[in-house]
Amino acid sequence: MGSTISEKILAAHAGVSEVKAGQVVVCNVDFAMVTDTRAGNAFQVMKKLDKPALGFAKNTAMVLDHYSPPPHEEAAQTHQSMRNFSKQTGTHLYDIGDGICHQVLPEGGHLTSGNLIVGTDTHSTTYGAFNAFGTGIEGSDVVGVMTSGKIWLRAPQTVKVHLDGQLQPGVWAKDITLTMLGKFKAEGLNYKAIEYVGTAVSAMDIDDRMTLCNHAAELGAKAAILEADEKTINWLNAHGAKTPQPVFADADARYEQEIRINVSDLIPQVARKHAVDDIVGVNEITQQKIQFALIGTCTNGRLDDIRQAAAILKGKKLAPGVRMIITPASRQIYLAALREGLIEIFSMAGASFESAGCGTCVGITNHLVPGDHEVVISTANRNFKGRLVNPNADIWLGSAATVAASALTGYITDPRTIDGGTWRAVA
Amino acid sequence: MNNIIGQAFKLGDDVNTDINCSSKYAPGKDSQFISTIAFEQLNPGFSQRLKQAQGGIIVAGEHFGINSSREQAIAVLHLMQVRCILAPSFGRQFFRNAINNGLAILECDTSQISDGANLNIDLLTGLVQVESKQTIQASLLPKEVLKIISMGGLIPFLNQHPDWNFQA
Repeated sequence: MGSTISEKILAAHAGVSEVKAGQVVVCNVDFAMVTDTRAGNAFQVMKKLDKPALGFAKNTAMVLDHYSPPPHEEAAQTHQSMRNFSKQTGTHLYDIGDGICHQVLPEGGHLTSGNLIVGTDTHSTTYGAFNAFGTGIEGSDVVGVMTSGKIWLRAPQTVKVHLDGQLQPGVWAKDITLTMLGKFKAEGLNYKAIEYVGTAVSAMDIDDRMTLCNHAAELGAKAAILEADEKTINWLNAHGAKTPQPVFADADARYEQEIRINVSDLIPQVARKHAVDDIVGVNEITQQKIQFALIGTCTNGRLDDIRQAAAILKGKKLAPGVRMIITPASRQIYLAALREGLIEIFSMAGASFESAGCGTCVGITNHLVPGDHEVVISTANRNFKGRLVNPNADIWLGSAATVAASALTGYITDPRTIDGGTWRAVA
Repeated sequence: MNNIIGQAFKLGDDVNTDINCSSKYAPGKDSQFISTIAFEQLNPGFSQRLKQAQGGIIVAGEHFGINSSREQAIAVLHLMQVRCILAPSFGRQFFRNAINNGLAILECDTSQISDGANLNIDLLTGLVQVESKQTIQASLLPKEVLKIISMGGLIPFLNQHPDWNFQA
């Protein structure tokens, strides 16, 4: 019986010939990441070490993204500690405005195909877009990695998802991840690894592939992983990554389940307020007014997301009463949007284009607090009640195209009905 | 060492330990304070009853620790003298955090265990004895995981075994 991609990567990093789902293995880690939400805890855990030798720190990045900019002294002091720690140990540092962890790691060339990457954030599944096993961990885990270079992992069962057919213009990876959440429900694939394969995955550009793997976190997945192809390898090479070592599943690999979704008929999807898995086709929503439109986060703050929104808003104005914020996932994306003239399009439309960070996703910076009974449509990954502080506001989720179309009309809107809503990058 | 005895303290499905057992939404509050109010919204007086019983075993439904990753939740549970947690499934990161912080955690069907039942759990065999009349088989913990739990968590384990040797 053969092995899945995840089982092969874990086996290679555990120095054994084979690992099967359920087995606990101790694996060598290739790169680790600590965000500013968990760094404070990691520093506390470090105090428990008898010998504070952190030899792996040089293969670790500290990322100041969630509290960006810091809203209180506690966060500011954590940031100071992270900067000092980086100076002392040689940890890579990504400071405020540099970008969100899951964007700066691949952009910084810190990972490549076949790697095992761990980070103190649930959405570390994103690295699977590059055929790396990426998974979320906490403080004890990351301190264990920094001191030993290793981590214990229970090898997950793998679910194989065939995405057959082709996405139609105006339909994006986010519409697939929302479909998956509607089908399996939140945490429905808890502990599991997902392998996405098929013609629709091959056709996706890297930005959309990252969305596909990122949003698997809401399914409870431990990892979501794609095969590496020419696009993957070109992207990694262009970003200075180490030589890709692509890993493919064996033809006779054992999957816990295998499903097929034909995406050719898929239409844009939205998650209704308060639940990531209350999914409905956007065409079923009529007369749902919105007051806020948010584009950004580690799920959909990449250049193709910003481009699809700009294609919709070019030369137009936001609907009266709508406020819109676009937050790129990194400074590199900010610069690319600047050079393409996209920031001007948003500004002329009446939207705000902000520096990179997690602020509009999670209400820990008070970056954006909606009023009572206000409705937000966002490209974020989560919409729990109170996620943006005010429990009396509603958050809906959709693709960047759906959010931009809704910002234009003032109602949740199918982007395919709007001029520019079927934009797609020319290959 | 491998047997845990205590009373069952029941909670329902989908308990989010970020919301109910950490300071994520109570910034600046320490674990000691949180331990006096944890799970209060779900089950008033929960923490107080655990204290009166001098600790016990949390018996929960599906996805205990769902959507939450904060290690602080385990520190709070230790302060509440929780000796073990039983649930059919756990949030992935919560499960890791429990092990890494030396809190026994077992996956089993909990539907037949009533609140207040006396439990005797054998971690090695995964057998949960309920009121000496019924036995439930929990999923076995791998030996590596048992070792980490028995040493009080990942960092105490690595302090003793920096080479990750589970046999020693």
